[in-house]
Amino acid sequence: MGWLVSIVYPIIRYLKPLPQTGPTGPTRLTRDEASKLEQNKFVIVPVSGQRVMVLQSGDQLHAFSAKCTHEGCTVTFLPAQSVMWCPCHDGRFDLNGRVLSGPPPQPLTKYMAQRQPDGGIVVSQESA
Amino acid sequence: MPDTNSDEKRGGLRGWLDRRYQVTPLFEFLRHKEVPLGSHWMGWYYLGGITMFFFVVQVITGVLLLMYYQPGEATAYESIRFLTTKVPFGWLIRSVHSWSAHLMIISLVLHMFSTMMLKAYRPPRELTWVSGYLLFLLTLGFGFSGYLLPWNKLAYFATTVGTNIVRSVPLLGNWLLEVMRGGQDVTINTLYRFFAAHVVILPLAFVGLIAMHLLFIQRQGMALPVGAKTAPRGMKFFPSFALRDVLLWMACLMVLATLAVFLPYGPGIPGMDWELGQKADPFAPAYPGIKPEWYFLWEYQLLKEFPPHLFGLEGPQVCLLLIALLFGIWAIIPWLDRRAFRDKPSPAFSDLGWAAILFLVYLTLTGWDIGAGGASSDLAAIQHSARVCAWWTLAAGAVVVVFRFLRYEHRWFFLTGAALLQAALHGLVGISYLLAGVISVALAAVAIAIRRVLFPQANEKDVT
Repeated sequence: MGWLVSIVYPIIRYLKPLPQTGPTGPTRLTRDEASKLEQNKFVIVPVSGQRVMVLQSGDQLHAFSAKCTHEGCTVTFLPAQSVMWCPCHDGRFDLNGRVLSGPPPQPLTKYMAQRQPDGGIVVSQESA
Repeated sequence: MPDTNSDEKRGGLRGWLDRRYQVTPLFEFLRHKEVPLGSHWMGWYYLGGITMFFFVVQVITGVLLLMYYQPGEATAYESIRFLTTKVPFGWLIRSVHSWSAHLMIISLVLHMFSTMMLKAYRPPRELTWVSGYLLFLLTLGFGFSGYLLPWNKLAYFATTVGTNIVRSVPLLGNWLLEVMRGGQDVTINTLYRFFAAHVVILPLAFVGLIAMHLLFIQRQGMALPVGAKTAPRGMKFFPSFALRDVLLWMACLMVLATLAVFLPYGPGIPGMDWELGQKADPFAPAYPGIKPEWYFLWEYQLLKEFPPHLFGLEGPQVCLLLIALLFGIWAIIPWLDRRAFRDKPSPAFSDLGWAAILFLVYLTLTGWDIGAGGASSDLAAIQHSARVCAWWTLAAGAVVVVFRFLRYEHRWFFLTGAALLQAALHGLVGISYLLAGVISVALAAVAIAIRRVLFPQANEKDVT
């Protein structure tokens, strides 16, 4: 038994990936990302290693996790309907992240998007 | 008694080999090996060989693809693009590899269903069934792991959804997900792991299992019909059956070559095309109409049909449980089918096989948005698609029932009826897919119970 554990454990431990490292904390949109937001009314950016969608509805900025809570596809924004839509399994979310229709079991996690006095946009986790 | 004296004197290559490796018993075995005739349609016996032929094509074209493919964030997509646009006949090798994968899955599925319908899994061939079942799972694993390697958008999202399903596994879900992906999300680490699985781990496992599967078949021979003690007649495996096998492989090669040359990127049906498209970008949204390969469409559609929450669990978790249950039943059918175990006709399991086919057909058609004129999130288009798919499924079901009734004198249609009723209730009446399923299964259970009480001898009269 000990012999088996001494073989299997290192393999299992080897297969388990190391924790991801990378920048954490608020993210400031680059010029490219800001122009994409202006043009498409949404942009997906990395915030603390997560995919976050920043979208513009009217004058208001919103930010949500871009990962659909159903099977993890990346959602898109439909400005004409003011909904976020996951094309993989047809899940829909309102501008508060709540599920409107389809199979997603949870709302999208909210982030905070703020326009800075210099015109830049900073996205951070809501609790921050 | 073999004439050992004459064996010793035998010259030529066989004599040379025999003096060193004693191959005469092997030749004797092959000389006496026979395929039973006159009981089933001969065509069923060739499906295993055809599947193996496509696997060999996969290995050869896979090795050729490996000579140009470079796994890596900046190289995977680019190397496939280079291969298909610059390398002489690179497009052909990739096309043959893709088409052969699809044809291999088709022949494998047909092989499994024919084995089930003929009850060839009954004792003493239970382990032959299980090894075949594991080969089927490995083949799906080949398809899934190979899908990511071009590192395009479709591959990225198909892998995201496919791997995310394991998150629902109790206790081990998150660990399994991280081990499969090499992290929390699908990244280039996932590609490295899938590449290793696709070109080393799965082929090794596959070859080992195929050896076991073939060994079982050689030791036990091909199954006779239910109730038969001896085959009415037989065909010599060498050379008669083997030559027919080779002839069929040639025909398969011609079909494969024709498809690969004239439809190099698939037939153009969503879920059955392999245009390279755009490079994977984790920061781009999934695109409308995204679908997995056709053989995963039924699971894709089933995931859509589950509500967000059910029985206190999340919808995808319950869906995974159902899929695991269906695969589990499929694996242990030799032990569930007690009548076949006693070498008696088991009409309920024949019916189960047909019901499973119709269940998969309806889900696959709706997953393909048949009748909706392409992918749509519009409710009216979805309902119209469900209606069209239900009619197609009912038409297919009617053909199946009439054929079984007339050709095989089947009288057991409760499960087929349940599968058709579910399609009709969902597609034509418009009630939810799951509720339609519950109603259909409940009605089938009541009908079976009534039959058992009122006509206890009826089962004995049923055939196959």
